[in-house]
Amino acid sequence: MTTHYGKIFRALPIVALFIFLYLPLSVLIIFSFNRAPFPAPWAGGTFDWYRELFASWHLWSACLTSLFVALAASGLSVVMGLALIFYGVRGGNLRRLIPPFYINLIIPEVVLAVGLVTLFAACGIQLGYGTLIVAHTVLGLGYVVPIVAARYEEIDRRLVEASLDLGATRSQTFWAVIVPLVRPSLLASALLVFILSFDDFVLTYFCAGSSVQTLSLYLISVLRAGVSPVINALATILFLVSNVLGLVFCSLTFKERIF
Amino acid sequence: MRFLRKELPFTIGIPAVVWQVLFCIIPLVMLLSVGFRSQEAYSLVVSWLYGRVIGYSLFLAAATMLICLAIAYPIAYLLVTRFYRWRQVFLFFLMVPFWTNFLLHMFAWYFVLEREGVLNTALRSVGFPTLSLLNTPIAILIMMVYYYVPFALLPLQSALERVDWRLREASLDLGASWWQSMRSVVIPLTEGGIISAALLVFVPAFGEFAIPELMGGDRSMVVGTVVSYYMLTARTPEVGIAFTVFSAAILAAAAIGIVRGIRFLIRQGVR
Repeated sequence: MTTHYGKIFRALPIVALFIFLYLPLSVLIIFSFNRAPFPAPWAGGTFDWYRELFASWHLWSACLTSLFVALAASGLSVVMGLALIFYGVRGGNLRRLIPPFYINLIIPEVVLAVGLVTLFAACGIQLGYGTLIVAHTVLGLGYVVPIVAARYEEIDRRLVEASLDLGATRSQTFWAVIVPLVRPSLLASALLVFILSFDDFVLTYFCAGSSVQTLSLYLISVLRAGVSPVINALATILFLVSNVLGLVFCSLTFKERIF
Repeated sequence: MRFLRKELPFTIGIPAVVWQVLFCIIPLVMLLSVGFRSQEAYSLVVSWLYGRVIGYSLFLAAATMLICLAIAYPIAYLLVTRFYRWRQVFLFFLMVPFWTNFLLHMFAWYFVLEREGVLNTALRSVGFPTLSLLNTPIAILIMMVYYYVPFALLPLQSALERVDWRLREASLDLGASWWQSMRSVVIPLTEGGIISAALLVFVPAFGEFAIPELMGGDRSMVVGTVVSYYMLTARTPEVGIAFTVFSAAILAAAAIGIVRGIRFLIRQGVR
């Protein structure tokens, strides 16, 4: 009996951590169904805030912008990452090319953002979609290249040698052997970059200019103005959507072969 | 033609490197050169007021780091030693909140910390006085710890998983107390994990500015606030750049100090 209680006692810190992590989100979701806006107490359930959310044009255009930028950034960084692997398969020296990509993870985002804004200003480039995608792609490369290169390094060299011995060219080896083997990490890192870009605030804040409004920028303008239950409804929906994406991501990284 | 054939893979492979050099390394070099060219910007930046801003950012980042380590190490330890089978489930549920835009998390904390929020309602029903937490450093710290705890947990957990637990058993067999074997066997073996957890929290927490701005009210000036003010509002970028370079140098020094400090403390503990 004592050991049983010991186990429960030891689980307490972990449970406490999860309460800490999940309490705010659950409160947020519960209040998205509250008839009276916060800080009024519970006044009965309603879907009105969801209706208002779906009618809000600003919000949807901000969501679409974020979606577009995130897709572009993850697509670009994955294609460039894969091209780098192609160079490695064709006999290039990857080891020397990979280290610079770790810089993106080490420096604080503010520094990168200020640097990019300085560069764009020096070249006379207007801030907008282009600069935003460029910035997010830099962020993305910092994740895609190390992840995919690590997977590529793990590949059994004998598979490549066998494919070459059996008469395949190096390019054929790349498409038939390497790409299928790095695909899980490629997809996982693409999803990671997508989520990071969709959530990003600092880089977006600096590099978006005044004409482009992503979801993060929209949210911060709303949050500065004050709270509204419509945001609760939005949070609930985004929570559900991103969990589906996250589940896919997890099954990719943990199981490595859902596709 | 042959030259082209030979160099084609290189041409295909190189965009990532070009992109990286063009949009990451050149901007960083530019920061340094532009920053050093405008001397007056530096003399403006190296002042008492900005010293306080940097000091406050350092304090927030260091406090966040210490709290995160203090929470994450015992939990990672429990997880690896007692709940090993559950660790994948644990990690999964640790990451779930991360997939939602973090500004929404901040929004969610309003509901908890508000004067009429969940926390105060709960406290009042037990008979405690109402706390006004919003727009205080405490609110900033709660939010920072909330956001950065997973960054500390992941490296600590993987470091603890790699520990050879037979060494620990040996130390216990040889008569060390639980705490002695902890501080002279387990903690030194996880030194790398502790250092990377500390840096993974400290570096981004230093540059954080959405959290202090939204949770701390108007009075809380951190590095990010000042930088964004000069870059975007005041339109005097050279001051912003100078300030960025200056605080990045301080951050680098602080990070080195933290690594050295952790190594020193662990070595002290072994004795």
